[in-house]
Amino acid sequence: MSDILIVVQRFGDEVVGGSEGHARVVAARLARSHNVAIATTTAADYWTWAPFYPSGTSDLDGLRVHRFPVAEGRDPEFKAFESKVLSGEHTLADEDEWLRRQGPHCPELLDFLHWQGNDYDAVLFYTYIYEPTARGVPIVPERAALISTAHDEAPLRLAPYRALFQLPRAFGFLTPEERELVHRTFRNEHIPHETLGLGLDPPGAYDVAAFRSAHELVGPLVVYLGQVSEGKGCDELLAAWAASRDRPSARPATLVLAGTLRIEVPDRRDVIALGRIPDAEKYAALAAADALVLPSRFESLGIVLLEAWQVGTPVLVRADNPVTAGQVARSGGGLTYRDADGFGDALDRVIAARDAHGAAGRAWVERESSWDAFDARLAQLVALTAA
Amino acid sequence: MTNPSLMVVVQRYGDIAGGGAEPHARAVAQRLRPYFDVEVATTTARDYWTWANEFTAGQTVVDGIPVHRFAVERGRSRDFRLRERRAFSATHTLADERAFVEAQGPVAPDLLEHVHRRGRQVDHVLFFTYIYYPTVLGLPLAPERAVLVPTAHDEPAIRLAIYKPVFCAPRAIAFSTVEERAMVHRLFQNERVPNEIVGVGVDVPADRSAERFRQRYAIEGPYFLYVGRIVESKQCGQLFDAFARWQDSRGRRATLVLMGHREMPVPERADIRLLGRTSDEDKFDALAGCVALVQPSLLESLSIIALEAWGCGRPVICDARSPVVWGMTHRAGAGLAYRSAAEFAEIGEMLIARPQLASRLGAAGQSFVERTYTWSRVVETYLDLFAEVRARNA
Repeated sequence: MSDILIVVQRFGDEVVGGSEGHARVVAARLARSHNVAIATTTAADYWTWAPFYPSGTSDLDGLRVHRFPVAEGRDPEFKAFESKVLSGEHTLADEDEWLRRQGPHCPELLDFLHWQGNDYDAVLFYTYIYEPTARGVPIVPERAALISTAHDEAPLRLAPYRALFQLPRAFGFLTPEERELVHRTFRNEHIPHETLGLGLDPPGAYDVAAFRSAHELVGPLVVYLGQVSEGKGCDELLAAWAASRDRPSARPATLVLAGTLRIEVPDRRDVIALGRIPDAEKYAALAAADALVLPSRFESLGIVLLEAWQVGTPVLVRADNPVTAGQVARSGGGLTYRDADGFGDALDRVIAARDAHGAAGRAWVERESSWDAFDARLAQLVALTAA
Repeated sequence: MTNPSLMVVVQRYGDIAGGGAEPHARAVAQRLRPYFDVEVATTTARDYWTWANEFTAGQTVVDGIPVHRFAVERGRSRDFRLRERRAFSATHTLADERAFVEAQGPVAPDLLEHVHRRGRQVDHVLFFTYIYYPTVLGLPLAPERAVLVPTAHDEPAIRLAIYKPVFCAPRAIAFSTVEERAMVHRLFQNERVPNEIVGVGVDVPADRSAERFRQRYAIEGPYFLYVGRIVESKQCGQLFDAFARWQDSRGRRATLVLMGHREMPVPERADIRLLGRTSDEDKFDALAGCVALVQPSLLESLSIIALEAWGCGRPVICDARSPVVWGMTHRAGAGLAYRSAAEFAEIGEMLIARPQLASRLGAAGQSFVERTYTWSRVVETYLDLFAEVRARNA
């Protein structure tokens, strides 16, 4: 039994986010065999970092959570400053300034690491990009694991991260693609690492017929599950969908968008936007689909792909997203498409081979994302890290 | 085929007084010149305390090597001692540590900007001395091609958290002694960083004459030699006390010869001779004829003067509490250590009474230096370290 601290920019029931969600799962799994505490901020919102939780120590699901006040949230002028730093004339000092203006600037969390970091055998840091990690790892490098959740983006090359990626005792990567990106960028192959992926609870009971009738859905369904935004590539998905429908060979199907709408959805009979659906309906929506489509270019781990495979639904992803394309290549649970022109054919093919792709995906996820497999990878990361 | 490129980063460079990391950097840069396109990035400071801008900022050439000097924006701050005290207190904050590093100086942001931009265009960056601003803030800008020469000894500063990245992020570390390496590994648990014991080569001129020295300074009889800054922090006060007590207790007559800049009072007595700063010729002549070199300092990362004494075949007397000097002396079998003034006197008596013993210890030192601290070995080790850096980044 070790004492483990997890440092993450946000933590709590109200927090929605990929890396924060991963941190929450890891905390819960590790707490089964270790003393786990969390060091985080008072923020719940990843953009403003506005104080939401009270500062101080509290208890969440049996975990001790130390929350430190956000001294400065995100600078309202952050976007303008960022574009200067990423693509304009700027100084070295600007790059450090960029990190601080991004927020959450939380000096008390860093002093906590300075004073009490030595009390822990291992300190797991989440998300390379934010200040608590970028400035926190250098305080306790001898016991730090960095779960970088990196993808190929311009900030990864900024000055504050150059040493960060040389310092930790070990890395936890979400996917092999992330591992290769980090090794290629920082030439730090010598630092021990473990590729964690994710563990998942079994889907439990779900009712496809009830889902279809509740939303008046008939015929073949192509489902997108997640925030409906440009950032997630949904504008391109809608364009590709429209082009694919115009082909003479097109078979009737409906595109179902399940998630918060951030862009305008064209008014057509074969596109239905449900808005955000309750968690209880998630697996029913996935099981109802002939295929799940995930059009995003950037992803640290396509969790929704794993969930689709849990219910035997194949997936269609972009060929130029290395992470999701890699997941599909490893599992055999779907196909990729290069562009809008290739989208329709790829969709036809994945639906035609639905059972085979779905079964391959299910077998893969049962093997790789079982709790036993995930816990073993996590234990390896802790063993590599503990000072 | 062009040579690989090497940037040397050090807080001062060129014609500056004193020993330590800066002449070390200069000597290494010169020796590596045949194998690399060497360039130096440094500040305009000449004085290690004030860091006042004395050299002209810009590009110049020293010993045929291009040197870029960057202006010191802030030298050592007037409240340095206060900042130091705060940073060394048990309950200090990270902000206190940062304030200490800046108060210590030399704050030279343009130098960092240069390391940031130029650092990723060269094959290797060699940083000298862990403690100052240029290395603390510069090394993290080019860690994947950085080799650190820490020249570290055990002192309060090295325990600050701000130094952890300096020791954990570089691609390789060139230690000066096995004792320095053991201390750094103990403090930082950074055994993963590839490293070698490198140090410097010791050049001892063949022409050295004890007689010339005795005549020039009118010194007769057995004498012990101290070379270096004459300051309290190098335990010179204790040395004077121990020597005076020995001589005053009717010991064998001997003289203590001091070479170096005096920064503290020296007892006025006939058997303590202060010569001030001297030429290299005088230094080696004096080493050739001394009973032993005395190195009382506790805080050394590598005592070059001890290596030079051994190079001249003379033994070293040191303080048993000095981890590096006594560690090296003990490993080399090339001298004796004292724990008290009484032991100092005993050692002095013994070495005067038994000149063969002194010569035997000195000869052991000479072979230790030839095994470890020769330029051919130093250069070879650097070539290996740098080849590893290039292989990793290829």
